Formats: sequence, C-alpha cells, structure tokens
Amino acid sequence: MKRRNVAVIGCGQTKHSSRRRDVNVAEMVSEAVYNALEDAQVSAREVDAFVVGNMPGFGGVAQPEQWIAESLGAAGKPVLRIATGGTTGGSVGQGGYYVVASGLHDMVVAVAWEKHSDSKEAGATTGLLHVGLGNFFHAAGYGLSLKNLVATSVVGAAAGVAVYQAMFYMHRSGCGIEHFDMVAAKARRNAAKNKYAHLQWPGCTAEDIAKTDIVTYPFRYGHICPASDGASAIVVAEESLARKKAKQPAWFKGLASYTDEENQLQSENFGGVGVTDPSEQRGCWLSAVKAYRMAGIVDPKTEIDVAEIYQPFPSQELFFAERLGLFDEGTAWMALETGETEIEGRMPLDPSGGVNATNAIGSSAMQRILECALQIMGKAEEHQVPKKVRNALAHGWGGVTNYSTVTVLGDTPGR
Amino acid sequence: MGYLKDERPTTIGVEGGWNLGAYHYKGSRLLEEYVAGLKHKKLTGSFCPGCARVIVPPRNLCGRCHRKMDGRKTVSDRGTITCFVVSPPIYKGKLKVLGMDPVEIGLVKDGQVVIPVFVKFDGSDSNTDTVLLNADPKDVHIGMRVKVVWAKELQGSLADVEGVEPI
Repeated sequence: MKRRNVAVIGCGQTKHSSRRRDVNVAEMVSEAVYNALEDAQVSAREVDAFVVGNMPGFGGVAQPEQWIAESLGAAGKPVLRIATGGTTGGSVGQGGYYVVASGLHDMVVAVAWEKHSDSKEAGATTGLLHVGLGNFFHAAGYGLSLKNLVATSVVGAAAGVAVYQAMFYMHRSGCGIEHFDMVAAKARRNAAKNKYAHLQWPGCTAEDIAKTDIVTYPFRYGHICPASDGASAIVVAEESLARKKAKQPAWFKGLASYTDEENQLQSENFGGVGVTDPSEQRGCWLSAVKAYRMAGIVDPKTEIDVAEIYQPFPSQELFFAERLGLFDEGTAWMALETGETEIEGRMPLDPSGGVNATNAIGSSAMQRILECALQIMGKAEEHQVPKKVRNALAHGWGGVTNYSTVTVLGDTPGR
Repeated sequence: MGYLKDERPTTIGVEGGWNLGAYHYKGSRLLEEYVAGLKHKKLTGSFCPGCARVIVPPRNLCGRCHRKMDGRKTVSDRGTITCFVVSPPIYKGKLKVLGMDPVEIGLVKDGQVVIPVFVKFDGSDSNTDTVLLNADPKDVHIGMRVKVVWAKELQGSLADVEGVEPI
C-alpha cells in the first residue's frame, strides 16, 4: 500500500485557562488556527481542508463545528468532524494524517478544542451527566437503585474512573501515593515553563502536593487536572510542501488507534465487566506495537527521546509509560524516583506539563501530538528537552477507558 | 486577533425543567433474565463458548471473542473484592447527583463514607460494580471476601442487591 509521507509544519494553540469569557467557541478555535497558520507561514487560502473535533457534550454548545467554518477560513472547503471521546484530539490529528497520506488533500489544518466554561456545571444538560445519561438510564427500568447510582457518582466522574485504575496499578506495581505527588508536582513545574499551560507552579515539590486534601483515596486535590478552555491546531502537509515550508518538519512516522472492550463501568448493556484490571489497557499496547512497527522502531526504551502521555491523573503517566513500552512492567515509578522522567532526564515524560496541568478535553490528545512536533522542530522554548529529538511519542486515552491513540513523530520521514 | 467582547464573569443561567421522561433508552433483554434470577437470590452470568469466561451480569456478546454468549451459569453470591474506592464523608449540601442532594433525600446519612467496590463473584470472570456495606473503611482491602446483602423484600429488580458485606 502506497502512503505519502506527511509532516506537521506548523503548530498553534491558545493560552489555556479556566475561563475564556472574552471569546466564543468559534473565536477561540480560530485563534489556535491562525497561530498555526502563522507558525507554518501559510495563508488560509492554501489550506485544502479542515479536520476538526471536540469532546461531544462537554462544552456548552452541542455542535460547535456547525458554526465555526467561516471563523476558520473553511467556507467553501471540506470540514470533517471527528469525535472519539477523550481521544478526540488524537483522532483529529491522525485524521489530518489520513486525508493527506491518502493523497486526497495536500495541506490540511487539524484543530481540536474544548470550552468548558460555556457549560455552567457538570450536571448541566450538556456536560458529564449528559454523556452518562444513556449509559445508565435504561437500567432504571430494571430497578437500578438510586442508592447504588449515587454510590458510583460520589467518587466523581472522570476521577472516579481513574481512581480504580490507580488502585489496580498501586496493587500490582507497588508504587505509592507519594509517587502520584511527584508526578503531579513535575507536571505543575513543567507547565510553568510552558506559556500556554493552565496550572503553572514554578518550583512545585511533591511536599507541596502532599499538603492538599484527599479527594478520593488515593487522589488528592493536587493530583487532579483542571477543566480548561483552549484549542490547539496543527498544519499537516505532504512531503514536497513540507520540505518547502518548514526548516524541520515533524514527520508522522507511525500511528495507530486500538480499542478494547469497555473495561470499567457497567454501562450500555449493564453487563459485567470482562476486563478485570482497568489499568491493563490492552488498546494502548496494541496501538503502541503497531505504531512502532510502522515507524521502524525496535526498542522504544532507547529510540523514543521524549513522550507526551495523556495523564489527567498522575497514576496514568506511570502505567501508560509501561504500556507504551518505555519502561518495564511495574518500574515507571522507580524511574520517576531517580529523575529519569524530568525534562533533562533520560526519558522525559510530558515536558509540557501534560494533561495533568492543562485539560481542554477535546484538545488534550491533540496537544500531545502538537507538543511532540514542537520538540522535534526545536520550538518548545523553555520546556524544550536538552537533546536531539529524533522520535517523539504522543499518546491519547478515552472512551469508557478503552480507547487509545498512539502517534510517533520523527525528524525524518523514516520509511 | 478580532475584537474583544465584553467579558462576562460566568455563563448566563436560564431556569427550566429537564423532562427525563422524554428519553426512551432501551435496556438489554438479558437484564430481564438477570433480575428474574435475583428474585430467587440467583446471580446469573453468561458463558462464552470461545474463551470460557463467565460474565455477571450477563452480556449478549463476548467483548473479545465476539461470540454469542448463549450459555447461562449461576454463580455464587460470595466473591472477592478486586478493587475499592473510599469516598470522603458526604455532607449535606456538598454534592448533587441528578440535581438532588443525596443526604436530603435520605440515600446516605450526613457524614457517611461510601465504599464502591468491584467484586468478582466465585465462578465468574468479571468485575461487578456494587457497594460495600457494614464494613469499617480501615479494614477494606483487595482480596477481601464478601457476600451479597439481599434486600428484605425481593422484587426481581436490580435493587434486590443492596451491596456486599464482609464474610
């Protein structure tokens, strides 16, 4: 099968914060797009098509893609919306690759966003409850007790989903809550070096995080990601354009997206959960294996120079790093202790601060791809890792905790 | 870029009702079988002819083999905790679920700690979500042996299983 070589030639994002009340969705998204176009030194006229997406139901607007076309400069051009829950950004980025690699278009903009502040609370009709409603309400017809529903709800939305994973991971790897403090502190510290990040805390230490209250054991308040407003965009081009427009394009070398059976909540059909360890994340390692093979990577431990892992909760940085083959099973927390995962470490994880510091959900997985591209292009400024980046790994996670995207970017096309 | 609009500190609220009756989500037909079993204190699971897993409550299709799980198996009402979460104490006015305060409507006592758990019932290969009752949060651990707390009056509904308690 003949695929064209494809690269990221420009990156743009907005500053992320709790509230962007000065702009609406369309205006916010166009900020990111224009920043990306400016970075790539191309005009909106040169762009053939747009791939867009956000997490359905989380913002205050149900179908934002229907009114952003003119703000993007997309009038008269194809606009394709992709939505895969938490992995949306990763899928949108990969969608940008697909349409260019296939030969359908030569240059596209892929943009993903979330504007949480438009929705007043999680219980609004758009928002988390809206997402969960169809999953549980059918069971009410069979006497699903409100008491039990409340019991699962008190653990709290996404934190409730991740907290089970964290418990499983702690149980089988031997890591402790203090390691989660360390990951969260690292994310805040790194974010302070990233001017677009949300939760910035220069010099934050594990002790600072450890002072915050427990929300649901083992998660503290300081472990939990924010809900951000923000957008991120990449300009994706085929080889000849990429070489002409960018001094160092960030090439798509390998990518994959796999799912597994839903592995946590008894939703949809209310059947039992066949995956007895939600931190097993088979979809993630299937994606990693496939993406590495496509990228020609044999030993990810030595060949990957930097990784951006989707880690809204600190436990996830650890077990996903293992699932992605960057560390041996149950050892990521030991590497964390020795500082290997710091910006200047052997295997920097989330030098941008990652999702733990900035979580505009639809955009989060896109930001991983964007940050990897910045590292390869050498444009990451203060959080640039101090070594030559040949291969960078971008990961996305979502679904009923079963969807994964893995994208390997490199400094050469590599095939 | 563009012009800046007046900043609004928050979103604009509009009072209104939310008619949940407008939704017609359909449950799985297997749930009928499952709840019928509960009336006789039976936990029904489905059996996969491909990988021999038993899933409780039953599912139509095996998530991994994609084979029809036509076989049925009754599993024990005793099992093992595979994972647990301890909530912070729930106080009045702190939490809203479906727009209701769980303390106000009497679902939990003021200051109560809730312990959601995953239980693998003996004879099954799946996690079932439920809550741990009659236990001290300090004692709960992975591998803890538990049994189902049945409702006083069994009605053939999901509410028949109130939760699990330590053996």
